[in-house]
Amino acid sequence: MIRAVALLWSLGPLLWQLYTSLRPADALVSGPQGLGSPGGGIFGGWTLQNYSQLLAADPPFWRYLLNSAVVGVAGTALTLLLAIPCAYGLQQQRGALRWGTLALLLAASLFPTALLFLALLEWARQLGLGNHLLALALPYAALSLPLAILLLRAALADLPPELEDAARLEGLGPLQRLRFVLLPLLAPAIASTAILVFLFSWSEYPIALTWISRESLLTLSAAIARIGASSVFTIPYGAFAAATVLGSLPLVLLLLLFQRAIVSGLTQGAVKG
Amino acid sequence: MTAWLLMLPALTLLAVVFLAPLARYAWLSAHATSVLTALEPVANGGANWLRLAQDGRFWQDAGQTLRFAAVSVGLELLLGLALALLLRGPRGGRAAGGGLRTAVLLPWALPATVMALGWRWIYNEPHGPLNSLLIAAGLPPYPFLSTPASTWFAVVVADVWRSTPFVALLLLAGLQAIPPELEEALVLEGADRWQILRRLLLPLLSPWIGLAALFRLAQALGVFDLIQVLTGGGPAGSTESLALYAYLNAMRFLDFGYGATVLLATFLLLLLPGLLWLMWQRRAGSAA
Amino acid sequence: MSVLELRQLGRRVGGRTLLADLNLRVEAGECLALLGPSGCGKTTTLRLVAGLELPEQGGRILLGGRDITEEPAGRRRVAMVFQSYALYPHLNVTGNLALGLRVRGVPPQERERRIDAVLELLQLAELRERRPAQLSGGQRQRLALARALLRQPALMLLDEPMSNLDAQLREELRPELRRLLCGGEAPVLYVTHDQQEAIGLADRLAVLEAGRLQQVGTARELYEKPHNRFVATFLGRPALNLLPPRDGRQLGLRPEHLRPVAEGGLAARLQRREWWGSQQLLWLESEQGDLRMLLPAAHACPDALRVGWERHHELWFDAATGERLQGLA
Repeated sequence: MIRAVALLWSLGPLLWQLYTSLRPADALVSGPQGLGSPGGGIFGGWTLQNYSQLLAADPPFWRYLLNSAVVGVAGTALTLLLAIPCAYGLQQQRGALRWGTLALLLAASLFPTALLFLALLEWARQLGLGNHLLALALPYAALSLPLAILLLRAALADLPPELEDAARLEGLGPLQRLRFVLLPLLAPAIASTAILVFLFSWSEYPIALTWISRESLLTLSAAIARIGASSVFTIPYGAFAAATVLGSLPLVLLLLLFQRAIVSGLTQGAVKG
Repeated sequence: MTAWLLMLPALTLLAVVFLAPLARYAWLSAHATSVLTALEPVANGGANWLRLAQDGRFWQDAGQTLRFAAVSVGLELLLGLALALLLRGPRGGRAAGGGLRTAVLLPWALPATVMALGWRWIYNEPHGPLNSLLIAAGLPPYPFLSTPASTWFAVVVADVWRSTPFVALLLLAGLQAIPPELEEALVLEGADRWQILRRLLLPLLSPWIGLAALFRLAQALGVFDLIQVLTGGGPAGSTESLALYAYLNAMRFLDFGYGATVLLATFLLLLLPGLLWLMWQRRAGSAA
Repeated sequence: MSVLELRQLGRRVGGRTLLADLNLRVEAGECLALLGPSGCGKTTTLRLVAGLELPEQGGRILLGGRDITEEPAGRRRVAMVFQSYALYPHLNVTGNLALGLRVRGVPPQERERRIDAVLELLQLAELRERRPAQLSGGQRQRLALARALLRQPALMLLDEPMSNLDAQLREELRPELRRLLCGGEAPVLYVTHDQQEAIGLADRLAVLEAGRLQQVGTARELYEKPHNRFVATFLGRPALNLLPPRDGRQLGLRPEHLRPVAEGGLAARLQRREWWGSQQLLWLESEQGDLRMLLPAAHACPDALRVGWERHHELWFDAATGERLQGLA
């Protein structure tokens, strides 16, 4: 069935990484990885040594996961903090001002972020933001803002307008309306946006690469690239694969848990944006 | 008035991060800032730009990046459409369940560098899985990543694998916006699936396709993560992208002035899909 | 005493005049219905009085003698029931009522007391824990009312609050609504496009058209002495018959005032008969155009007849301006 093919195509490479990560190094390089390969073939020669290698390294692999998580959470929090009021203010605007800003935001969301690394690097150097994990939250938030604002504004536009009128008449000021009426109703959209932003910051590479040089502070993407670049001749593919699997695990979990929110966030934003 | 106050912090940050760099690049590109000048900017008129115009490597990279973008996005649109149709399920049938959707989304959700590394192994000669399959089929192993002719396509495959879900999701949204009655009406008139696709779905999906193409083209022209980790630009610079070239200039050769020039040139190149899209929108609008 | 006064209130948006030069006075405890077709400016008036929009074209709004034109919406001591009720979907009944009080700093005990009282009044006590989505249309309306009454406002505004309810429910709730709203201290401004509702609920009616006030008065005044053609046609079901204009004048006759006569009047043929229970509506084609006639159901009516009426029921209008011409023989 076509669905099976799609499944295989999507999961194949990752599953192979899983398989590879569980094979001992010599088995990997000693021939084709088929059923009849040395090292016992499929049903023999499993090992967790690749994983133990990674976890025993200095710094241990889970350190990178932690760093990415810290940056991810900080970046997401900052993004939401800025995007929610901005979306609210934007929704109050009318006519050319609103559409103009929306068009600019759309253009910004298209921008390939890699192009910004040089200027941002200069900022980092001048302001001493290098090698500070939390400092990464700033550019990450800025890069996620366009999409976040677009999504949140679309969600706000969906709410019945009389709701805010009623709250206004009851004497609620703008911030009170936001807090008591709008935010609770926006919760699903906020959740979807937060997840998308988190995914982005987990995946971001050029800025993490140029802002952080200290090994123990590397985020996952940068660490993985370093592993890849480090050894040119003796290639520890088992370790690679293990790193791939470990690096993917948190996101796989996130995806499993929030799949619906992610899909709806993207499609809703696309429909209304 | 409060509306502006609310928008200010976000808009300020955006201006700082998006607009200021461009201005900075323009300034830098008009100065020489390299090891030769002890990393101090020295005005040099348009020397950087002259150099760019004559820089064979830049133009080669530009061509490679364009080719990569065009082929990748083209494939992604095709496969994305197929995937979207698959996820939607047959008319009146059940749409794809959460499990399939999760699996399909996975490639896009994973960090680019992580899977780039994975692909390096998959393409590995002679031990990687692809070559293992070839060997098992009795064919000679093929050095995917060492032959210029095949490397760029290998990169395309990796990018298509990663980005198709995004396109598929976008197109799925578009498909779901089409009222089922329209399809039913066509079915009653005796149209088969291909005709429905061609005459109804594709025309109605065209704004979505345009949007997806715009997004993906812009991102593909700025490709960096994938190239740097998967091929490092090799073999012999045959997969080097513009962004990577700029990075090398700035970080390895420490020529900030020239690096900024390359970046600015790439940005200008980026405006191309934007313009194309605007033209296409206008044409589509007037044809309607 | 909280009297509502609107002086030369107007509003224009982007070249369109939504409301022009409105002068209106609503006495304390009076219930005034703003009546008119859609787009006539009645909702705009309501929103201006509530403070949700500002009258950029000048005009003043006075409540209890105080000029509130510049005051922000939350400060005017005005409560409004919206057409869609605008209930907070994420809060239950108690929560919906409490929010405004909490924000205004009312202490918890006082809050509870007031909420209990209003729940009692509107018979919502058993539904405290429910969310708006779990309430019926009529219950939601009562909740919206409760929220408005809770504020002990100086003025009550209602924007087509019954339009979401089916016809039967509307009829049943009308006396209830009147009992709750009218006759208190606060004046009530009620917007509707349904004349029955307006007549049943309000002390006086104000008819608006294209942003302008056409006439203010009791239902009877509007019916018997309409100022112009529009008011005459708008009020009264079935609608007024208008004969073709002649010599710059136009005659209007209400269907209920026509009856078959032996001689005189207009010659007519019967086209159709609609049976309305105790009455029948007859569609006629006469020498001066189509006419409708309302007769008791039992009354027999031949196919060809002559239609007559009493002189004092004639309503004459200026053919061009639609103004009613008084005292014509």
